[in-house]
Amino acid sequence: MTNSLLWYATRGAGAVTEILLTCVVVLGILSTLRVQTARWPRFLTTGLHRNLALMTLVFLALHIVTAVVDPFTNLGWAAAFIPFASSYRTFWLGLGAISFELLLAIVATSLARGWLGHRAWRLIHWLTYAAWPVAIVHGVGTGTDTWSAWMLAITACCIAAVGVSLVWRLTTSSRDPLAAPRLDFRSAVDRREVR
Amino acid sequence: MTRLLGAPDVATPLPRAGHGLIDQIEKAGLLGRGGAAFPSATKWRAVAERSRGDAVVVVNGAEGEPQSHKDRLLMISRPHLVLDGAFLASRVLRARRVVLYVGERHDAARQAMLRALGQRTEPERATVTLAAAPARYVAGAETAAVHLITEGIATPTNVPPYPFERGVGGAPTLVQNVETLAHIANVARGIYDGTTLLTLAGGVARRGVVEVPIGTTVGGAVSASGGLRERPRAVLVGGYFGAWVEPEVAWRMPLDHRTRLGCGVIGIHPASRCPVCDVAAIMRFLAAESSAQCGPCFFGLQALAGACTRISEGGDHPTDMQRLQRWTVEVRGRGACRHPDGAVMFLSSALQVFAAEFANHGSHHNMSQIA
Repeated sequence: MTNSLLWYATRGAGAVTEILLTCVVVLGILSTLRVQTARWPRFLTTGLHRNLALMTLVFLALHIVTAVVDPFTNLGWAAAFIPFASSYRTFWLGLGAISFELLLAIVATSLARGWLGHRAWRLIHWLTYAAWPVAIVHGVGTGTDTWSAWMLAITACCIAAVGVSLVWRLTTSSRDPLAAPRLDFRSAVDRREVR
Repeated sequence: MTRLLGAPDVATPLPRAGHGLIDQIEKAGLLGRGGAAFPSATKWRAVAERSRGDAVVVVNGAEGEPQSHKDRLLMISRPHLVLDGAFLASRVLRARRVVLYVGERHDAARQAMLRALGQRTEPERATVTLAAAPARYVAGAETAAVHLITEGIATPTNVPPYPFERGVGGAPTLVQNVETLAHIANVARGIYDGTTLLTLAGGVARRGVVEVPIGTTVGGAVSASGGLRERPRAVLVGGYFGAWVEPEVAWRMPLDHRTRLGCGVIGIHPASRCPVCDVAAIMRFLAAESSAQCGPCFFGLQALAGACTRISEGGDHPTDMQRLQRWTVEVRGRGACRHPDGAVMFLSSALQVFAAEFANHGSHHNMSQIA
């Protein structure tokens, strides 16, 4: 009974992690688009993005811990941290480990952003575009519930949400309202020609 | 008494100077005269520690403060003294390069510096280059000077790294105001006597630059330049990044760096002018001088200037007065450089000193409309 409870917890936490991670990615993309309305100020996007990211890690930890301590799977801790170290479903679990470590790197560098500097932080943050699809493939590949109607619906919604916001992001030019005045000032104090 | 402006400018040999000069500067209590009043000895030590014979000395004569003239006057009348300070810094800090950063519209100052440079020794001359500071308010900021000399664009940059860590071309760099360097040359010769240059502006009999001992009161400085022309309503101490002070208070107030002397501009606001209209105009200027790199500075100063302007035009003002109070707090400390902080300090003091004028400006405005 305990064992099956752990197994349910692993599957449930996995599904919740997929939903949360998708929300974080979508909010991240929306924040670069500077989306805002009268009822949805911009800080809400970034605040939710940050808090849901931390919550994702909590559910991800639950997902990993319950999977590892489940005596039935006999995974071992190495499988959670070292990609492709697991003998059980080596490839699919390896993808999970990779995605987990990318997310750790992204969150850790975000917490240390002041110390790291904006440029380095931004560069590492681009890894999100690798972590998210790897996580989705991990879920589809090894998920117990992958082909059940409700899980298919969740995964399809997640892919659609990120897909739509990505297309929106790529087809919209920067909405940085500072871009034009910044460029104006820069050209007013630009003396590269003179030298 | 007037060690800077009262003495002849001649190319005399530099005194011997080593690390001990930094201790002398510290003992003299010398603070930077560009506006920030940062202790010069601390700056020199920070560069000296990091220099491996590759340091850079930037002689800051950008003087972007609209009312200030003292740096220009000093470069015109004592160019050798400024160069003395620069070459002493170059020796003590083991610098490879000296850059004269002079306002691009200050032709007389640049020519005077170049003429003096032509009379110096060849080894000294060989290390010097000239850079023109764009005529914008923020171009005189340390990081903007470094950015212009290195990359040709005079926008302020984020700190750290500070110029003493990574400045011109990545080398440890001393950026020092021209007046500070001139005082340091006198410190090295043992003849520094604690004076400061002031630019008197507004309702004084004779506008311009005076040299007075630090600690002179505003009243004393005004008398030194021939007294008042008009009855004063308030005094702006320290230029556009300074603070407004009631004239009775200012008159007895000793000018030193505790009273935020800043860049040394003393503006006497005559009672005949409307302070609200003038404050609004200066806020519009400061908003337009934001380099638009940080949102709180660009949007915050624009919003503040907008509210001031609406009040000065007799518009919807109770809400705008509340907004001004709230926004001045929200903008402070939120830029990469000090531009927004200086602007809100100016405005906060204006709201205090001119509280009555701001509250009753509607009627003044209507009256002037009729007249």
